This record gives sequence, C-alpha cells and structure tokens, in this order.
Amino acid sequence: MSHTDVALGGHHAPAMEPSPFAVPAIKLAMWLFIISDIMTFAACLVAYGFLRNATPNWPRPFQSSTIASVMAMTLILITSSFIMVLAVRAARAGDRAGAFRWTMVTLALGALFAILHIREWFGMIDQGVTFSKNPWGTGVFGGAYFSVTGIELLHVIAALIALLIVGLGYKSGRYGATHIENCNLFWQFINVVWIFVVPLVYLMNVAS
Amino acid sequence: MSTPEAKGGLGKYVVVYIAMLVIPLLELLTAYRHPGEPQLLVTMLLFAFVGALLGVLYFMGLASENQSSVVAFAVFTLFVLATINYGWPDSFRLLFGVPFAK
Repeated sequence: MSHTDVALGGHHAPAMEPSPFAVPAIKLAMWLFIISDIMTFAACLVAYGFLRNATPNWPRPFQSSTIASVMAMTLILITSSFIMVLAVRAARAGDRAGAFRWTMVTLALGALFAILHIREWFGMIDQGVTFSKNPWGTGVFGGAYFSVTGIELLHVIAALIALLIVGLGYKSGRYGATHIENCNLFWQFINVVWIFVVPLVYLMNVAS
Repeated sequence: MSTPEAKGGLGKYVVVYIAMLVIPLLELLTAYRHPGEPQLLVTMLLFAFVGALLGVLYFMGLASENQSSVVAFAVFTLFVLATINYGWPDSFRLLFGVPFAK
C-alpha cells in the first residue's frame, strides 16, 4: 500500500502528501476530533466539580435503585465496547457479514443504554428535578446533572446514528474497514467518558 | 497501525474487558464505604484513569499505533487537560479569596 493509499484509507485517489504518522487521513481526523471533544467533556466535568465544591449542601439523591441501574448501564456500555472491537477485527479480516453483525449488536446495546439513560432522566424529573430547582437544596444541581449526563446522551445518540449508517454502508460495500474503525474510536471514546461520569456524578453522590 | 489487530487471539481484549468491568465494581464498593470526600475523589479518579487508559490503549487501539502518533496524541491531550485545569486556582480564588486575592 502506497503512502497515498494510506492517507486516503486505502481508496484510489490522486497523488497527495502522505498523512502524518502513517495513519489514514480520516482516522487522524477522528483522533483530532476526539481530542477536541475531550475539551468539551473536561470543561463540563471541571465546571461540575467546581459547582459541587462551591456548594455546601450539594444534594445526594441517588438511591440504591438508581445506582443499580447506572451499574447495569455501565455493564451494557463496556460490553458494547468489547463487541465493537469484534466488529473492527472482523472488518479488518474482510468479514463483511461478521463486521455488520457485531456493529448491529453494538447498536442494539447502545440503544438499550440510551433507553435506560432516558428512563433515569424521567425518574429524576418525576422527583421534581429541573434545570433550576430540585427538592433537596441547591438549584444548580439539576442544571449540572442534566448538562453532564445530557452531553453524554447526545454523543451516544450521535454514535448510534453513525453506527447504523456506517454499518449498513459497510455491508453494501460503500464503506471500508477504516470507517468501521472510526466508528469504533468514537464509540470507545463515549465509553471512556462514561467511566468518568459514573464515579463523579453518581457514586460520589449516593444517598447516605 | 491497525486498531485493534485483526490477527492474534482475543485473549488480551477479554482481559481488558474483565478489568474494565471490575473497576466500576471497585468504585461501587468504595462509594458505599463512605470514606471522606477527598479520599473518595482521589480513589474514584484513580480508578477512572486506569479504566480510561485501558480503553484508550486497547479498545481504541492506541497501543498498536506507531509510536510517533501515540506521543503526539498523548502530549496534545494532556496539554488540553492541563489547560482546562488552569481554571481551578482561579475558581478557588473566587470562592475563598485565597491564595492570590489578599
């Protein structure tokens, strides 16, 4: 494979400069996007930490049932990450049917995660939590909670759409293994962010 | 530059998967032990960083990328995170008026 092929992820195209780091250009772009997205999540989590630290009566509303649900969501997300690795391996081995199957399993698990996430939100809303008020004390709790978990949920929904489009495109031959790899990078990134959200937002605020 | 490698067994990924499942369980146990807040925060962040590192290195395949890209991505990301954390001292100054305001 020539430098040009590497730069374009293996597709034939006019000659151009080789991609930096010998990584396909679309994959490099995804890495750069992820790094910039880290900024978004880090800023949200730092702001959340600042608000929590600055507020003496920060609510601790999460009962055992909520924590059990969050742990189930974590299990689902980590399992989906592992399944997505299987999809990438199948794609790299040229197994289109296998890669499509594992991508769709990931999609199903991700959809389940999103449904549980929305259910969790409705549970909080039923308890009277809004962006500006809640039954337990400081008003900023709702805004902080919905912002941090909302941006995670938004990413999950975006990734599910990407998985569906790329999965179907890969099956039909429109997309290549590099596209599946890119979806994998984004999906794994969401998993990595969730690894920080769970302890900082939920486990540090379990009801005593 | 493959991510993850198409060749070779799944063993490495299974081990990482199990480790990533164990980490939230350890976090859960720690949370219900109700240690002091600073200790809880440090422990949680430590577990989270280990889990994230496993995810980035193996599930995202950074461990199998070429070394120059690993160094570039790591340095760039750490710079971003360090820059964001620049806000902390100023946050504490706004809250408590220390250490720079007096």
